[in-house]
Amino acid sequence: MFDGLGLLANGISHFLNPISLFNIVWATLLGIVIGALPGLTATMGVALLVTLTYKMAPDQAILVLMCIYSGAIYGGSRTAILLAIPGTPASAATTLDGHPLALQGKAGLAMGLATTSSALGTVIGIVALALIAPLLAEAALKFGTYEFFWLALFGVIISGQLTAMDDPLKGYMAGIVGLLVAMVGMETLHAHQRFTFGIASLGGGVDLIPAMVGAFGFAEILGVMKRTAQARIVSSSDRVVPKLGEVFKYWKTIIRSGLIGTFVGIVPGVGEDVGAWASYAAAKRASKEPHMFGRGSQEGLIAAETGNSAVVPGAMIPTLTLALPGSAAAAVLIAAMFIHGIRPGPLLMTESPETLYQIVAVLLFSTLAILVLGLTLTKPLLTVLAVPRERLMAVVYVLCVVGSFAITQRLFDVYVMVGFGIAGFILREMKFPMAPLVLGIILGDLLDLNLRRGLLLTNGDPSPFFTRPISAVICGVIIVTILMSIPAVSKRVRALLPSARAQSPGQG
Amino acid sequence: MAQELPDPAPLPADEAVPPAMIKADLAAGIFFVVLATATLVGSWTMDRLEARRINPMTAPGLVPGLLSAALLVCGIILTLRSLRIPAPEGWRDLGRAIISSGAQRAGAVLVLTLIYSLVLVGLLPFWLATGVFVFAFVLVFEAWLAAPRQPLLRTLPWAFGLAVVTAAVVTLVFERLFLVRLP
Repeated sequence: MFDGLGLLANGISHFLNPISLFNIVWATLLGIVIGALPGLTATMGVALLVTLTYKMAPDQAILVLMCIYSGAIYGGSRTAILLAIPGTPASAATTLDGHPLALQGKAGLAMGLATTSSALGTVIGIVALALIAPLLAEAALKFGTYEFFWLALFGVIISGQLTAMDDPLKGYMAGIVGLLVAMVGMETLHAHQRFTFGIASLGGGVDLIPAMVGAFGFAEILGVMKRTAQARIVSSSDRVVPKLGEVFKYWKTIIRSGLIGTFVGIVPGVGEDVGAWASYAAAKRASKEPHMFGRGSQEGLIAAETGNSAVVPGAMIPTLTLALPGSAAAAVLIAAMFIHGIRPGPLLMTESPETLYQIVAVLLFSTLAILVLGLTLTKPLLTVLAVPRERLMAVVYVLCVVGSFAITQRLFDVYVMVGFGIAGFILREMKFPMAPLVLGIILGDLLDLNLRRGLLLTNGDPSPFFTRPISAVICGVIIVTILMSIPAVSKRVRALLPSARAQSPGQG
Repeated sequence: MAQELPDPAPLPADEAVPPAMIKADLAAGIFFVVLATATLVGSWTMDRLEARRINPMTAPGLVPGLLSAALLVCGIILTLRSLRIPAPEGWRDLGRAIISSGAQRAGAVLVLTLIYSLVLVGLLPFWLATGVFVFAFVLVFEAWLAAPRQPLLRTLPWAFGLAVVTAAVVTLVFERLFLVRLP
């Protein structure tokens, strides 16, 4: 415990120098701008910035990427409130109450509440990260090849189940397609080339960064440019800095939403949008004024913003301790960590325990930066929202091309980006979620290697996959998850549980 | 004092599935069945490395085979489910969605971006390719496909200025500051 506090103090003091503080301020501000601009999402921002941080020292690179990530998740709220368009998918729930508040002439209050509740949500998540991650890392040391196979499968299944709105089948399919994409190229057990069709560039497989830039960058550009309607910015004239009483009146909602957001973050591949929806639905159920939700409820706004921000530190828990990305942006962070020689996973706490506490410290600093920048820079951020998307998207596409090319300097990666962009756009239009697909690409190798390695160890006998205690539990959870997603089964189970019938399924 | 409350926005789960989406699901289902079958055949016929005497349960085609079987099952379920739900005028709605103005705008983006990344990059110096792309993109979407259209004389300086600035800044920042080689 005291070791942890000591390491945390070291982590904080490590970044108390002018260069780090400067990086924190610009990266958080850039994150807020990326989040606020419709069509630029947190995942896309982090994926594009990997290129810029390529030559930085590892600690500074991770610092910049984390600040971009948490800044962008907050920045989306600005657009949600003033334009009724979620700046990032994470702010979709914020739109429901944030925009009605703005229409009632309380745009300043809404922005102030969103800022403070985002900061509080991140703090709750940070506490959970600092407390849970070391314990989970220790527990994960007991995981063997069998458990890692199930964990990889669990990640894809649960992400498919929770990100596909009301149709888990499409989520599963997206996940399986992602896993199949990971099968392309040289496999690591016998060094055999799979599905390369004689194309030499495919030998190394499909790189995650170009695929992510395509699926979250180019696909988003196509989606944004498809829309014709331009939104109007609601003007704000009231006070932005909220009174403490206005925020802490809803302390129960803040704590509940923070915990829900953190939990959603821990679940692999389930990101900020689900965190916000789940917190929003829970707040509505528990509220004394549920009829106000969707009509400018301050409680609803606080729940959504606390929920999505708490996901960011929550998502880092499995990312750092198990190398299972807690969200789509965390998947890019894993790729970035590998580029910089940091290996997330159970051995992280043994090999470089300072990394975890440095990330905790970075999140604390970025929260402070969000609070200060968010409450002071109201007017400059307003001008950002007025940038026409026609001009913005042209520049963003150039960055997509550079971003996917720069890491390995192959034009092939640009083609991968284009391919994933087009496929991602079509799949998204057909309501297939992107997060399980990306998770599949990153977990495919883990799943493949651990299944076949396990079978090699037992000479072809699959029984340890089902008889080892932790394996059996994860396997059971997967089976229950899949069964419950079949409408006929879940209807019968719900009929047996009278308390569940009264509650709506909610979102997430 | 009776202030009219706006209608609460619907949560995503509240919306019914439109007929066009059901037909799109049918097409997707058939596509995935074909894809899964092809991958399954590819996995089954993949070299099992018998010459190297590896354990047959660790053959390279095992996991792709299992995954494509799972995708095949999901594809069949999606296809059958879409066939069972009545979707009157579904194909016509889907056709309308494909030729809608929104889809045309996405198509225009696609044409511009593909010409840029597949033809111009590599053929021209990167700064020139980027300048041409940004100029064309802004011009097409502000003076032609916009509603209302911007006058050409107002768009031209903006398009030209943005093209020059983007080409210069991207090239300088990446090549000089971040020391990244550009295509």
